[in-house]
Amino acid sequence: MNGTWLQYTTLRVASLLVPSEQRAEWIEEWRSELWYIPQCRATIFCVGAFRDAFWMRRNHCVPLTRTRIHLESPLSCLALLTALAVLSVFIAFHMLAPRRTPVSPPVSPLIAPDLAGICFGVLMLSCLLLPAALWVWRPPASRYSVSWSSALRRGIFLVLKIALLQSMVLCGAVVYILPEPRGAFTGIAGAAAAVLALRWVIIDQQRRCPMCLRLLTSPIIIGTPSRTFLEWYGTESICPHGHGLLHTSEISSSYSGPQWLSLGDSWSVLFAKGAGRHL
Amino acid sequence: MADAPKLSHTSALMLQAIAAGHVYGYTVMEVTGLPSGTVYPALRRMERDRLIRSQWERQSIADAEQRPPRKYYKLTRAGEKTLETSRERYPLLAKLVAAVEVDGA
Repeated sequence: MNGTWLQYTTLRVASLLVPSEQRAEWIEEWRSELWYIPQCRATIFCVGAFRDAFWMRRNHCVPLTRTRIHLESPLSCLALLTALAVLSVFIAFHMLAPRRTPVSPPVSPLIAPDLAGICFGVLMLSCLLLPAALWVWRPPASRYSVSWSSALRRGIFLVLKIALLQSMVLCGAVVYILPEPRGAFTGIAGAAAAVLALRWVIIDQQRRCPMCLRLLTSPIIIGTPSRTFLEWYGTESICPHGHGLLHTSEISSSYSGPQWLSLGDSWSVLFAKGAGRHL
Repeated sequence: MADAPKLSHTSALMLQAIAAGHVYGYTVMEVTGLPSGTVYPALRRMERDRLIRSQWERQSIADAEQRPPRKYYKLTRAGEKTLETSRERYPLLAKLVAAVEVDGA
């Protein structure tokens, strides 16, 4: 009886490693096989279930649509940033609210100048990253020019992302610095987080189609790192709606920026169905 | 035949065992002498590569014999071709499983 309990427990523990949608059939198979195993070898048999469960876990293909946050569309990206900005504003107001009670020490004279200082600091930080932002904004060397409406839409999208991010950075600074000034480490960590967030905005902008602002997909590596003397080496991504291809060099240089290659209408047949998801 | 998957000796031995009629996981273990932690992941890997296919036996058969239903494995057409290739690579494969059967009997 004790042996049976031990074996079933072993199988149950091992089944926790198996993906949930395959777990029931997996444990049913092992239990049915266990019924035929002699009692003296049953425990050793069940220990092998862990290796099988590990294999199931390692070779389980999770559809990307279930795990990734959908940021492909520019609207969904802006919606996520807006939601985060609203949440950060809510948290900032919620954490600052108790300071207005009579029990709390008077800090109101410090709020206005400190707030202005923080805003100024955030703006200065943005100015430091302005060259990088302008580099993103620079139209890529292309064989085909992008229309002014697409360029305007791309610029507005970038400005909106930076503005939403700035509000989050500002709320973070207000919450963590204003109520009780922390040490230098907190300030450095906050500044580093702001720089990383702005860096994400820039990289996200680079990875989008300049026409429809959707994230480019299906990146493939062209060339090899060991043959960069006379040959190009980089990544080619494609717009899911078939607007074009972006060639990004793996080695940054002054003469090899991102190359955008627009695809003509003759390519639209390939992207008519599924919007490029099935490429 | 150049595009046929190259099997390890263990996988070829298991394919040979299934082809010889040892269609359950535990019987494959018995014939090959491999542990459960090797046999079951290998069976799943070969099923993923479409060399074998699995199927649960009917509940009525198991109920009639008062035992739980078992999952059994069969070779696919691709598995049979791969096994033929493996026999050329491992000439003693068929004799090895046959010898085990004789010893077991």
